Amino acid sequence: MTRSPRRLDPRPGEVIDRNRRLGFSWNGKRYEGYEGDTIASALAAAGERIFSRSFKYHRPRGILAASLHDPNLLVQVGDEPNVRAGYRKLEDGMAVSAQNAWPSLNYDVGSLNQTVARFLGAGFYYKTFMKPQRLWPAYEHVLQRFAAGGKVAQGAERRDCDKRYAHADVLVAGGGPAGMSAAIAAADEGARVMLVEEEPGLGGHLRWGTPDDLARLAELRTEVAARPSIEVLTYSLVAGRYDDNWISVLQRGLPQVTERLVKVRAKVLVVAVGLIERPYVFEGNDLPGVMLSTAVRRLVNLYAVKPGDRAVVFLANEEGEAAAEDLRQAGVEVLRVVDARRGGGLLRARGRRGLDSVELQDGSSVACDLLVTAVGWTAPMLLLNASGDRPTYDEEAARFVPGGGLPDNVLATGGILGDGPVGLLVDHGRATGALAARRALGGDAASSSSPEAVPALTAAPHPALFRSGTRGFVDYSEDVSAKDLMAAAREGYDSVELLKRYTTATMGPAQGKLETINTVAVLAEATGRSIGETGTTVWRPPHSPISLGALAGRNYEPVRYSPMQPWHEAKGAVPIVAGQWIRPEHYGDPAAEVLNVRKNVGIIDVTPLGKLDLRGPDVSRLLNFLYVNKWSKLEVGAVRYGVMCGEDGVVADDGVTGRLGPERYFMSTTSSGAAAIHEWIERWLQTSFREWQVHVTSMTSAFASINVAGPRSRELLARLVADVDLSAAAFPYMNVRQGSIAGVPGCLMWRIGFTGELSYELHVPSGYGLSVWEALLESGRDLGAAPFGVEAQRIMRLEKGHFIVGQDTDGLTQAFTAGLDWLVKLDKEDFAGKAELVFESERPRESRLVGLQPVDPTVVPPEASQIVSGSSTIEGRITSSRFSPTLNRAICLGIVSQRCASPGTVVTVVHPDGTRTPTRVMEHHAHFDPEGTRLRA
Amino acid sequence: MRQRGATRRRPQRYSAFGLLRHGLRHDDWPRVWRTSELDRRYDVVIVGAGVHGLAAAYYLASKHGISKVAVLDKGYVGGGGSGRNTAILRSNYLTPEGVRFYERSMELYRNLAVDLNFNVMFAQRGHLTLAHTDASLRTMVWRAEVNKLQGVNSEVVSPEEVKRLVPFMDVSNHARYPILGALYHPPGGIIRHDAVNWGYARAANALGVEIHQNTEVTGITVRDGRVQGVTTPRGEIAAPIVLNCTAGWASLVAGMAGVKLPIITHPLQAAVTEPVKVFLGAVVVSGSLHVYVSQTDRGELVFGASTDPYASYSMRGSLEFTEELASHVLELMPSIGRMRVLRQWAGLCDMTPDFSPVMGTTPVEGFLVDVGWGTYGFKAGPAAGEAMAELVATGRTPELISAFGLARFEQGRLVGERGAASVGH
Amino acid sequence: MILLPCPHCGKRNSNEFSYLGESAPRPTETGDAKLWRAYLYTKENPAGWTRETWLHSGGCGKAFLAERHSVTNEVRATWLPGRKEPDTTTEAGS
Repeated sequence: MTRSPRRLDPRPGEVIDRNRRLGFSWNGKRYEGYEGDTIASALAAAGERIFSRSFKYHRPRGILAASLHDPNLLVQVGDEPNVRAGYRKLEDGMAVSAQNAWPSLNYDVGSLNQTVARFLGAGFYYKTFMKPQRLWPAYEHVLQRFAAGGKVAQGAERRDCDKRYAHADVLVAGGGPAGMSAAIAAADEGARVMLVEEEPGLGGHLRWGTPDDLARLAELRTEVAARPSIEVLTYSLVAGRYDDNWISVLQRGLPQVTERLVKVRAKVLVVAVGLIERPYVFEGNDLPGVMLSTAVRRLVNLYAVKPGDRAVVFLANEEGEAAAEDLRQAGVEVLRVVDARRGGGLLRARGRRGLDSVELQDGSSVACDLLVTAVGWTAPMLLLNASGDRPTYDEEAARFVPGGGLPDNVLATGGILGDGPVGLLVDHGRATGALAARRALGGDAASSSSPEAVPALTAAPHPALFRSGTRGFVDYSEDVSAKDLMAAAREGYDSVELLKRYTTATMGPAQGKLETINTVAVLAEATGRSIGETGTTVWRPPHSPISLGALAGRNYEPVRYSPMQPWHEAKGAVPIVAGQWIRPEHYGDPAAEVLNVRKNVGIIDVTPLGKLDLRGPDVSRLLNFLYVNKWSKLEVGAVRYGVMCGEDGVVADDGVTGRLGPERYFMSTTSSGAAAIHEWIERWLQTSFREWQVHVTSMTSAFASINVAGPRSRELLARLVADVDLSAAAFPYMNVRQGSIAGVPGCLMWRIGFTGELSYELHVPSGYGLSVWEALLESGRDLGAAPFGVEAQRIMRLEKGHFIVGQDTDGLTQAFTAGLDWLVKLDKEDFAGKAELVFESERPRESRLVGLQPVDPTVVPPEASQIVSGSSTIEGRITSSRFSPTLNRAICLGIVSQRCASPGTVVTVVHPDGTRTPTRVMEHHAHFDPEGTRLRA
Repeated sequence: MRQRGATRRRPQRYSAFGLLRHGLRHDDWPRVWRTSELDRRYDVVIVGAGVHGLAAAYYLASKHGISKVAVLDKGYVGGGGSGRNTAILRSNYLTPEGVRFYERSMELYRNLAVDLNFNVMFAQRGHLTLAHTDASLRTMVWRAEVNKLQGVNSEVVSPEEVKRLVPFMDVSNHARYPILGALYHPPGGIIRHDAVNWGYARAANALGVEIHQNTEVTGITVRDGRVQGVTTPRGEIAAPIVLNCTAGWASLVAGMAGVKLPIITHPLQAAVTEPVKVFLGAVVVSGSLHVYVSQTDRGELVFGASTDPYASYSMRGSLEFTEELASHVLELMPSIGRMRVLRQWAGLCDMTPDFSPVMGTTPVEGFLVDVGWGTYGFKAGPAAGEAMAELVATGRTPELISAFGLARFEQGRLVGERGAASVGH
Repeated sequence: MILLPCPHCGKRNSNEFSYLGESAPRPTETGDAKLWRAYLYTKENPAGWTRETWLHSGGCGKAFLAERHSVTNEVRATWLPGRKEPDTTTEAGS
């Protein structure tokens, strides 16, 4: 077990619990840290300096920002890649390893790339590896080996994350002093507030501040805690803001799940995300030992870690002074404080595997192991950008500030807006929170006090420090240097967007949180434009990367079952996924199921059929409009087949509709079309035919549907139906009756025949579906009654030549092409698609759906096999094919060009394996009983 | 007026040797394309500096010697769909017209790095379109068969073969939508989209074509049914030919010329993850699950899905896009749940009723369109540019694009690409 | 996830609705191919305020008209077909 030589004595604001030791491993070695440590702070306490190797040159990298956005602290934890070690809380037993190093973090062969760096400038790959082209895959393979990041493991267990919806009056993004104050004030105005803070504790920069800051923080925390209408989410991230204040929050640190996506509809969003400290560009700025002032302050004050022994501090603001003071208190020897405000300058840092010395502008060189920079801030603009704000550059403050253009439901406060003492931030936060609450609650807010004005909060003047006279790294994740950026700009990639794309600067895991401002500054310098003129990039969500697991949540893809599905599965039916439904494909032998229907009687579960109850005096007008055929003369008790087309004349759906009473109809649609047809009908009724009195109700799940088919179906049904005369004369083909089946009242019986046999389609109140199903099989045992599945039904419908919409037709098949000449009635009044069908009827037909039979009856061409003339001219395709057990031969439907469509033509079908099958075009779609004598029996 | 060709120059060639020399001398490469003043008159004005506009300009100059051409863009080169797509290339379309056209594009793409002297990094990793239902499997067979008859390498493979090609894939039958097979298209792959845009821009510019960024076309002048030129904030430009290559904004630009299009603009979103070590070779597409995914050489997974459900010009992206995407990706590859989405973005797609483009002449003489690409635009860039250049130069619509004319809608002769395209990358 | 104010149910998430597209009157004269195909295929597709039809399919089932800004996605008015159209011309809109 490695000790922690760099751990300091207890600090007043430390967040570690020294009573709770946690063991973990780093590259296979055992380490120890405390509860409250981050992975990086525990390693730093143990004296580790190198945490990663850079992407391209494999340079050693150490702590830079010690935060979520630290580009150098990406590690592998178990099977989780790219974990932010500067942010992720240490857990007992964690197996942590470095990601981008071979054979080890300390001796990485890839660092040899540095010796050829001058040839590998940004975008070098665009200029080489072009010839010979056949070698590109080999070059590519080499490039791929440089892919940064950790590893995903095949077979890694899927961890479910849950999701939560929340509805806050005010969501405050950022729990620093301004954000906490905003939350407090909003709550006092009566708003329900959600306060979200990225760090494990509220307080922002007060957490690592002076004793005064800590006292202030304690007060604010007490005030927040005293208000039950504030829900505090710490260690949680406001990841994105979308239209209408739909806000994604990634919550961590929950006991039940590792991560939870909280989707918040906030009436008002208060953006109080503060500022991010920006790095300084100089030679050697990526050496382990070069840190931002905020990193030093976090390490010392939150984690009681001594970040070095001998330090140089380069600063331009108070934060740098405070960091220097922290270092002194921590026992670090502060050798030099170089103040840019007084003309001090930093040239470069030197060292090989870590910082050894610093060269200053005055020509002096200081040996040290820690260089702290405090050169200014950059504002994380994502949430404001996403709300419509376009940041502008404030020359005085040397940073981008909100440019305006926010909608009423988004407000900003705190550092992102401006600088000031804590008191001002608190006042501004309070006023902003109160305003947010008033906006959220509307004019009715029971405000106890008169609205206080929001004080001015502007960015304070700050020296414009971006780059020293030397060239260092601008993007650490991507190994992009100032030199790369300047060369690219001179080459013509001279706008931020082009430069970013060409050099990949700001495209890495840190997404430019630290780097964008320096990229813009270097580009401005290279082009002679100002930073304001150069502009910045559009920030894109998420604010920090979110795992696929958290975004996905639990798998929620509903499955629909008929009431009989458990029975089917118990009887060994092979299930088939049919859209949302799971259905029985067959029960072992579909051919036998077909023969049993043709000879005896079979029953099939057709519950997924779309079913609509239509009532009202104008249903018949509606049907006339929806279907291509005529409906005005449908008698009560009669059923008719119909086809619907879209306005483009393309076949959209088919089914039967029966008239149950003078103003009551029942419509069936295809299973897959059920929802769309219902919408289609509502659309017409509500927008175009509002005066029509029709009421439509979906009955798909209200009824279980069973088709009883076969020559003995009447005999079978007669045993279970007492109140309906089933005789052919009393209940002829294409009729519907209502009655009781097996004692279940309120059933519908349709005499129709998709299979081509005498058959009845029964719609039974779904609670009784299984009971009727079992009764049919039980009482039909001596008749040979047996279930059949979807496959047998498909065979029989093909034997009968019934097309399936979407299989035998496609997205452009109009009704006449589908062979519906017999059905389409152009002489009736306007109907959906009529115009196009008139046009279709008037022009020469190009292709049509026909029945086909291979000349060799044993050969079944696979569906979608192409029909060709010559070697490869496409004349059509097989849309459906099966071997017919009834006819003992192969049968097909297919679309063929008009010149091949005459009956008797022998066309050539090319199978996927290349064999060619002569196939004859038939006179009818139906291969079996084209006259329909069986179903009329 | 300057003489045609007077501004031509050979750019310094890119090569490994050049990299060495520049590395040793520490000197600069010449500008990738030069900036110039806006002239008052051009032979051809192309609106939109994406892959379509730039390719058309390049082929006009290189194949037809027409280099008095200005490519105008309201933003920067490749800043629209050409720089926002997921850079997947393939030619396994459904209709013979589509297959022929995209195969020509693939042919040009295969030689593009050498042709343009710019490494566009076309990696033919193979392209898998998964089938989760027997209906989609049937469509895959249909596509494969049409492809084979056009000489395109495409076949339907088993779930076992899918597993062999993509070991991370869950091909078990307990998935909610089990994988029943896939259309495998070995020549398909991914390319570096920006490099294609820059390569065309550089090569066209070297031949005399001018590229004007930040030059928005705000009006198109039409007189007596003939186009006269365009208006920009930098001044009026006269041109006998104006070519609209503006994808998601196509309706607006065509509207300036008084031409209405059968186009609806829908956002198409995409996302990229943080990099991890390369584990995914082929490009994987699932129409049923509305997702496509590939892994870049940098190790990032690049995702796309179907277009947003309603028309919009918004490029802000949505949360539900990433949620659905993640859910569907984990259905396919359950063990990558710890990977993180780094960035999401959106582009605008010019969707047509039949998922086929609108290319060629319009009722306004001299005003040509190369639009309506929907989600397929980047794949088509080279062939579309080549065909439009030929149309401009010869005045005749090339056979390759004759099925895609604007008049087909009025004539009711749609092209059936829609059948393959619930999500078709 | 944008919010759409259903005239019957109030503001709801957009995924409760089916988008039926730009509202365009159906020609009464169906014999003119040019007219008919313009109705079928030609779209205004503006970048700005657009009038479209939505159906609250995951809610009350009402079809309604909406004026939505196709760039900002702001919805400034929704109303039931046949009802008086709200006057949006004087309202501020970008």
